[in-house]
Amino acid sequence: MDPLILSFAVVNGVLLGGIYGGVALGLSLIFGVLRVVNFAHGSFLMLSLYIAFWCWSLLGLDPYLSVFVTVPAMFGLGYFVQSVIISPLIRRERALVVEPLSALLLTAGVFLVLDNLALMAFGPNVRAVQVDYYLPSPMLGPIPLNPQRLIGALAAVLVALGLSWWLRHSHMGRAIRATAQNRDAAALSGINVPFVYAVTFGIGCAVLGLFGSLIAPFMPISPSIGVAFGIKSFIVVVLGGLGSIPGCIVGGMVIGVFEAVASQHITATSAAIGSLGLFILILLVRPQGIMGRA
Amino acid sequence: MNTRTITATPRSAAGLPLGALAAGLGFGCVALVPLLVDDPFLIHSLIMVLFFAYMASSWNFLCGYVGQLSLGHAMFSGVGGYVSVLMFTQLGLSPWIGMLFGGLLAAGLSVLIGYPTFRLKGPYFTLTTIAFAEIVRIWVENTNDFIGVPLKGAEGLVVPAAGDSLWAFQFSSKTPYFYIILAMLALVMLATRLMERSKLGYCLKAVRGDRDAAEALGINPTPSTLAALAISAFMTALGGSFYAQFFRYINPERNMGLELSIDMAVMTIIGGQGTVAGPLLGALILTPISEMARSHLGGGLPGLHLVVYGLVLMACVLYFPKGAIAPLGRLAKRLTDRRGSRP
Repeated sequence: MDPLILSFAVVNGVLLGGIYGGVALGLSLIFGVLRVVNFAHGSFLMLSLYIAFWCWSLLGLDPYLSVFVTVPAMFGLGYFVQSVIISPLIRRERALVVEPLSALLLTAGVFLVLDNLALMAFGPNVRAVQVDYYLPSPMLGPIPLNPQRLIGALAAVLVALGLSWWLRHSHMGRAIRATAQNRDAAALSGINVPFVYAVTFGIGCAVLGLFGSLIAPFMPISPSIGVAFGIKSFIVVVLGGLGSIPGCIVGGMVIGVFEAVASQHITATSAAIGSLGLFILILLVRPQGIMGRA
Repeated sequence: MNTRTITATPRSAAGLPLGALAAGLGFGCVALVPLLVDDPFLIHSLIMVLFFAYMASSWNFLCGYVGQLSLGHAMFSGVGGYVSVLMFTQLGLSPWIGMLFGGLLAAGLSVLIGYPTFRLKGPYFTLTTIAFAEIVRIWVENTNDFIGVPLKGAEGLVVPAAGDSLWAFQFSSKTPYFYIILAMLALVMLATRLMERSKLGYCLKAVRGDRDAAEALGINPTPSTLAALAISAFMTALGGSFYAQFFRYINPERNMGLELSIDMAVMTIIGGQGTVAGPLLGALILTPISEMARSHLGGGLPGLHLVVYGLVLMACVLYFPKGAIAPLGRLAKRLTDRRGSRP
């Protein structure tokens, strides 16, 4: 195998994998704090892609500028879903942890509603944003980098770093971490747990809003894209360790490189089957993932 | 004395359990429908209700009793459908025999998959079942020919017409299909009822309640869960064969896609997990919605029925966590109690 082609595949895989990691950040954060497996994760990404698309198509807003619409909109939607739909369940369950299956079913309901509302409203057609300018491709040695993917991957790393720093040092971040450790003890220390939960869910969705805008320029948009990204995010998060933020980016890059390199040798189908197989293997052998705590 | 033992089943005058009497009467009445009405659309809709009730009951046989959420059961339906159709087209074997082979293959596959995965808890188990089913679906969707067997990938398989023939499991009228699926549903509900009162059922319920405590009492959860899984997979595969014969067409998306798994799980959960009648109730509530959405709104609003599914599912999880059967069960209990206390 030609080393240039191989290194090209690896670099591309790292960039795409960084984006996978960024997309999966919200899933990991929400699970880490609320212990809720958000089945509707991909649907939120699909919605933010559509918001970015309609901003571009109706208002002529550049996809990168639509960040200012998607991020607040998705934060609001996430805050709403948590405080109106999931919070009654958490209030009902007296135990420390929400019964994970009820929460999963509830978010599966959200997924069914959002995905199929999108199908009804927008139809099954694939849409694409076409910008009328070209970004220059920076070179890494002899390898040209796709500028849009580079922006996405850099954003993923920056968001992960920023989120970790914020969780560690801000007042709200400490409250979130305290709630994640022990909900009842946090409540006894005067933390408004329902508010912390809603903000966490909102932030998780806001990150998706950001990546919706960032990948809109090169991603074909259809109502079913949510499922594809949702499944990929589960793989990434399990690989990196559920609840671990750096693990998310690492897991994303591992999957990205795996898929890019594997598709040089075998068909894309086998690569997709391989990453699902890897997912099952990790769950069975090392369920805490690469970076997760046991 | 006003005490009632918990296990006492309300009995009718003839000494039969009331539940069995009601079930017999219910199935008898439904069996009369094709004799009284001659409306192919109505019969078709009833077949779909019974089919989904059957599939949800097969799902419930394992998942409802052991308390694990599988979203991979469509894989077994796919195995059943593909095996019976391929044995018919390639070997000329009757689908009645082919469906048994499909069921056995699905049961074997389920044990291979279940043995390592049942250690996983809650969402981890659910995600793994999705991954297994997706692997099989993606593989079939992209395989045109597997060691000489034409799988035809995403295009799917058509069952060649063989006229009105019991041997070929093909009928020109919908009525025979109606009686076949009705009998299948009655069998799976009877099996569930028998399992519920057997050692297997008590083991499963103990594992659902508290796995660690069950193990401390000397129950080894593995053999009982695997046995229930194999039976559940076998019955799901028979349903897949029925579906293939009824529509005379299968493809990976419809016969083994995630949507079918979600249908089976959601209907059971809405009706009532871990009960004999719950899946039937769930199918009665949800299938007419999807049939109406499909027939009356045509292709105009695809996905409408799934939006309704999602809303009903959310309402159920929040307000009726034990399913719609729970309030009905309370009502029935109040009625029988009143009757029983009458002097």
